[in-house]
Amino acid sequence: MNLEVFLPPLEAGFEALMEYLSAHVLTCLIPAFFIAGAIAALLQREAVLKYFGKDAPKWLCYSVASTSGTVLAVCSCTILPMFAGIHRRGAGIGPATAFLFAGPAINLLAVVLTARVLGLDLGAARVVAAVSMSVVIGLLMAAIFERGSVEAEETATCVSPAAAAEEEDGRPDYIPPLFVGLLVGVLLAATSGLPLMHKAVLVSILVLASAWLLNAYFSEMEKSSFFEETWWLTKRIFPLLLAGTFITGIIGYFLPVDLIKLVFGTSDFVACFVASVIGALLYMPTLLEVPIVGTMFGYSSGTMAPGPALALLLAGPSMSLPNMIVIWRIIGSRKASVYIALVVLLSTLMGMIYGTMAS
Amino acid sequence: MVKIEVLGTGCAKCKSLAKNVEKAVEEAEVEAEIVKVESLQEIMNRGVMMTPALFIDGEAVAVGRAPSVAEIKSLLKKR
Repeated sequence: MNLEVFLPPLEAGFEALMEYLSAHVLTCLIPAFFIAGAIAALLQREAVLKYFGKDAPKWLCYSVASTSGTVLAVCSCTILPMFAGIHRRGAGIGPATAFLFAGPAINLLAVVLTARVLGLDLGAARVVAAVSMSVVIGLLMAAIFERGSVEAEETATCVSPAAAAEEEDGRPDYIPPLFVGLLVGVLLAATSGLPLMHKAVLVSILVLASAWLLNAYFSEMEKSSFFEETWWLTKRIFPLLLAGTFITGIIGYFLPVDLIKLVFGTSDFVACFVASVIGALLYMPTLLEVPIVGTMFGYSSGTMAPGPALALLLAGPSMSLPNMIVIWRIIGSRKASVYIALVVLLSTLMGMIYGTMAS
Repeated sequence: MVKIEVLGTGCAKCKSLAKNVEKAVEEAEVEAEIVKVESLQEIMNRGVMMTPALFIDGEAVAVGRAPSVAEIKSLLKKR
């Protein structure tokens, strides 16, 4: 048995892993986990739901649906119930599908990691493309399936009692968003291109300010739930990301570069289309789309062109075989197949547009 | 006898809530029936849009988050 056969692929796996454990990735991931924890524990996310009612103006409905994923979709398991809820509460199929698509695609952790590892331009393209695409998908779904009246089932929405009680504690409404804002400031400062000394000072000031705010305005219960939430997310996502990165590194080693170059080397229709189909079928645990694009398909080393990279990032996290099945059950086979086709085609189109712009 | 319902489609968060509930019931030494509501249809009918959710005796006590063991215990004591 020749052990040396195993060494190169393992090395490739470790190389990928080290790249993700490097300081420049950690400085963005750690603050991002705190932000996600704060959003989950301290913000009253239910407030968003009122924009999905039957009487809410259309444009408002779509704007909220396409962007609220940033704060709502920290845990992917909230997406499907919310999708079903928006669908049934009268906002209709349009905003519901817009939310369903944009939610996972613009989740904060994913965007931060994309921008950091794959480059700011691709990170920004991902956000812009996901948001605009979700509105287009929503409008098309509504145009195809909602002729005439919308039958809405009016169900009362349950609001968390704890969230309702918070209003009585005399804390100004802007404090929780301000706290999240400060944490975002930490993230931006830590990842900025400032000289090290300036950066250290700025980050310390922002960290101290947020610590003071947390101490002064939040109850013990909220504080502990903030830390628990942050830790919970880290514990769930981080090991998976590391293991996944390692494995994508190894798979990437075995994928023939020539073949990838042949299929994904340009941003033409075939490349983007194949990338979105792969993205749609493959189940990618949160954040893993980044090493899949960067390492496995070699976007970072220049093997994969920007077009297919974006197409895969768009179709990937929003769709996988298991959640296609749930969607199928909620809205029926006709709507589900149109939705899936729209996602694949628009991802392809966005990839091609970005590919042209980037080259 | 308290009726505790854990609403969730089986995601990680919902499972951790179910675990917390079991632990809280054991520690608080109350007699309780724990029901897991996993059907999305039923969850929708309750008007819950964010899972996990916790119902005690038919009343929503937490929606869209998983309360800790300590919090569930204090909720149970209030009954």
